[in-house]
Amino acid sequence: MNEQLARDLECAIATDPRTHELGIHLQVRGEHLVVSGEVASEERRDMVLDVIREHDTGLEIADHIMLSAEPGPGGPGHERIVPPPSS
Amino acid sequence: MPEPIRVAAVGDVHLADDLRGRYAPLLEGISAEADALLVAGDLTQHGTIDEAKAFADEFDAADVPVLTVLGNHDYHSGEEREIAQLLEERGMTVLEGTSTTIETRAGRLGVAGVKGFCLGFSGRSAADFGEPQMKAFTGHGIETAVVLRRALDDLAGEAPDVTVALSHFAPVDDTLLGEPKEIWPFLGNYRLGEAIDEAGVDLAVHGHAHAGREKGLTPAGVPVRNVAQPVIQAAFRVYDVVPRRSA
Repeated sequence: MNEQLARDLECAIATDPRTHELGIHLQVRGEHLVVSGEVASEERRDMVLDVIREHDTGLEIADHIMLSAEPGPGGPGHERIVPPPSS
Repeated sequence: MPEPIRVAAVGDVHLADDLRGRYAPLLEGISAEADALLVAGDLTQHGTIDEAKAFADEFDAADVPVLTVLGNHDYHSGEEREIAQLLEERGMTVLEGTSTTIETRAGRLGVAGVKGFCLGFSGRSAADFGEPQMKAFTGHGIETAVVLRRALDDLAGEAPDVTVALSHFAPVDDTLLGEPKEIWPFLGNYRLGEAIDEAGVDLAVHGHAHAGREKGLTPAGVPVRNVAQPVIQAAFRVYDVVPRRSA
C-alpha cells in the first residue's frame, strides 16, 4: 500500500456514510497501517476500523485512535472578559 | 464593576444515538452558571433528522435559551432546513445570517450567528479568481462574512449591552494552532474576523477546529474562543462578559 492509497482510504473514511470522520490520519510503517486521530465514542472507532478492513490493505492495523474526553460532572470553567478601557 | 452577562458555549458535539445521555445530565440547572447557551455548529455527525432529535433531546435539558448555528456536518445529508425547523420547534434559536437578543439580569445579550465557510487567512487564503468553480468556493466564503456583518449591523440597532458573534468556522487563525497548517484554509475565514472587527463585538465564539486551541484575538483585539468540545473537553465553557458601558 503506498501513500496515495492511504490518502484515498482517508477520503473513504471521510465520505463513508457510516463514519464521516474527517480527522482520521493513516500512515504506512513497514507492515503496519497506523490509524490516528480522534473520535467521540468506541462505536465510532469500531466503524472506522471496519471501513479500513473492508479495503483489504494487506497491512496490520495499528489502532492509535484516541477517544475525545467525555465531558464529566463538576463546575464549568468560567472566564471573565472585560472590554478594553478605551471602548 | 457591574455584573457580567454569563455566556455558556460549546461546539462540535456531533450528536447521534451513540452519544445520547452524554450532555443532558450536565446541562440540567445550567441557569445557576449561565444566562444563555451558545452551540457553535456540528450539532450532528451526519446531518440527519434523527441525529438532530438526539441533539434536541440532550440540549432540551438546558434551562436557559439555547442559540445555535449549524456546521458543515449538519449540512451533509441535505436536511439542514428540516434540522433548523425541528430545533426551532423545540424552542431553540438557529441563527444563519440573523441575530437575536435575550434579556438577562445583567443586561441585554445580543448574538449574531452564521455558519461561515472556508477561505483562509493572511498569506494562505483562496483568491476570488480563475475558474467558475474557484469563484464559487471563494464567493461563498466571502458571502458568509458579508452576511455576518449585516446581521451584526442589524443587531446594533437593538443596542445590546454585550454583543457576541457566533460561527462554526473560525474568524481568526490564532485558535487553529495545533491543527496542520495545510488545512487552515478549510477551517476558517479572515473575512469573518474583519466583519467582527468592523462591527464592534465583545466576544467571538466558534468551533470546527477540534485540534486547535481555545483562546485567540482578532487583529483589533476582540477575544475569540474556540469552543469545539474536543478543545474545551467539557460540556460547556462560561464566559462572563462585562458590558461595555461599564468599562
